[in-house]
Amino acid sequence: MRALLWLASIIAASLLAFMLGGYATDVYRKMLVWIALALSYNFLFGVAGQIAFSQFAFAGVGAYGVVILAHKLGLPFGVALAGAIALCSLLAFIVAVPSTRLEGFYLALATLAFAQLFLVVVNEGGDLTGGTGGIAGYRLPDVFGYTLRGPWYTVVLVLLVALTLHILLRLERSSFGRACRAIKDNPAVAAAMGIDVRRTKVITFTLTSTLAGLAGAAYAYVDNVINPPVFGLDNIFLLLFMIIVGGMGRPAGAMLGAVLLYLAPFVLEPIVGHAYLVLFGVLVVLAILFQPKGLIGLIDRLVDRLGPEQRA
Amino acid sequence: MTTAPLIKVEGLTKRFGGLVAVEDLSFDVESGEILALIGPNGAGKTTTFNLIAGVLVPSAGHIALDGQRIDGMPVHRIAGLGMMRTFQHNMPFAGMSLTANVLIGSHRKLRASVLDILAGRSFVRDEETQARQRAGELIDFVGLNAYRGADVTTLSFGEGRLLEIARALAGSPRVILLDEPAAGLTTAEISRLSAMIRRIAADGVSVLLVEHDMHFLLPLAHRVVVLNFGRKIAEGGSRDIVRDPAVKEAYLGEAAGALREGAPDA
Repeated sequence: MRALLWLASIIAASLLAFMLGGYATDVYRKMLVWIALALSYNFLFGVAGQIAFSQFAFAGVGAYGVVILAHKLGLPFGVALAGAIALCSLLAFIVAVPSTRLEGFYLALATLAFAQLFLVVVNEGGDLTGGTGGIAGYRLPDVFGYTLRGPWYTVVLVLLVALTLHILLRLERSSFGRACRAIKDNPAVAAAMGIDVRRTKVITFTLTSTLAGLAGAAYAYVDNVINPPVFGLDNIFLLLFMIIVGGMGRPAGAMLGAVLLYLAPFVLEPIVGHAYLVLFGVLVVLAILFQPKGLIGLIDRLVDRLGPEQRA
Repeated sequence: MTTAPLIKVEGLTKRFGGLVAVEDLSFDVESGEILALIGPNGAGKTTTFNLIAGVLVPSAGHIALDGQRIDGMPVHRIAGLGMMRTFQHNMPFAGMSLTANVLIGSHRKLRASVLDILAGRSFVRDEETQARQRAGELIDFVGLNAYRGADVTTLSFGEGRLLEIARALAGSPRVILLDEPAAGLTTAEISRLSAMIRRIAADGVSVLLVEHDMHFLLPLAHRVVVLNFGRKIAEGGSRDIVRDPAVKEAYLGEAAGALREGAPDA
């Protein structure tokens, strides 16, 4: 039954790809990348309670990694993709090990530093990273003999979201997810129950950063252009807003938040211009003050209220 | 008994700067034994407790669990060896159900790594099912069956204490450390708690208690270690302890009365 629901959702989201025009396809694809990033950031921040600002930097490592390895260094695409993902895991591990102490803001500071360092490297990377202009003019090579163009690449992004969701749900519903929640609530008590707090934190950070890298690598072939500003710090706050507004710690909330806040500017910008950012800020403050469980919490309450009547 | 003690504390000393909180303390705990650590305020009971649980590192001396030295080990590894504890102020995981809270206690027994979980290996589900079943039994044992799915923040103080005990037991401990378990409980709750602790010990689990409430403690403990100013001043059965002149001296005043009243009837 659950497998059928997954299959139906994937098919529906894929079919949509074949019905959209050029502009709508671009919006849809980017939205899917945002959803994938929101899901992994939700696990890191919302479930495990780790405050980190490096989600887009790791997306950048994935994107730049695959493009440089495949198109600048000419490695076979499979090798380039695996190499970029491995690089994400390695860098995430290196950032996490010294900074995931029992308490404090070490991880927040370390990831902030890492995000800035990444920007410096890609801006100053000369020919290899294309500097401030980034890299353009490459194309996704055939993967296992398949040419993934147009709507078929959108299907790849749908599968990316499905894979990310599948991995994170499996983790969240396991003893590992429970340990993450316990650590978020009280690391000292979690340790007294036999949970290796540091190890759990390092694994969580490495895994979610690797998933961010995978989303970044997929993003690299959405426009076949990558440049530094996308992976800067502005976007990490939008990602944070998405999770808070949608409902922290809940995958459905993260997805809802990502869809709403990604699409909102398309509706709001013609009306209020860049002031939509102010609206986002107000929305976040309202969510924190009055609805800490986010929109998904509101939906839960609605369902609860409707539920008994339907049954009666 | 010919078997070695489960816990062996030898020459344990803890200094905080110039203050000696615990000095040259030695005692053993056998399997299935209920040992109480008592003493006036500031005697070093809580410090000793935290040294054994691994929250503090001793300045000198050592602590062994089943022959293995545990002093200086990280808290989670000590728990992993089968030493589970409760907290004096209830410390439930607030965002989780009662069952999930108890399941956290079973963590030391779970073998599934992240890779096993991601690969969806079948033993992961079996292990989880077993842990859930055991958690259900323990919730029954402590009498919180009505609250299984409840938000733990809605529990009363006494119920919260029972959750602490169920969570510690979920790790199938060899030793359970109870930090003032009777504090804040009603008389009825205390008598239920005593019966529960006896049953836990009867299953072969060592129970180490830090406690103020003599009425609760003296009839319950198999053996009592009395501390004063960080030193052991007496050790023995409840009946001997209350007659010990050094203990009377340490407990002069109100507490001395409590000592006499709480002594089991001869």
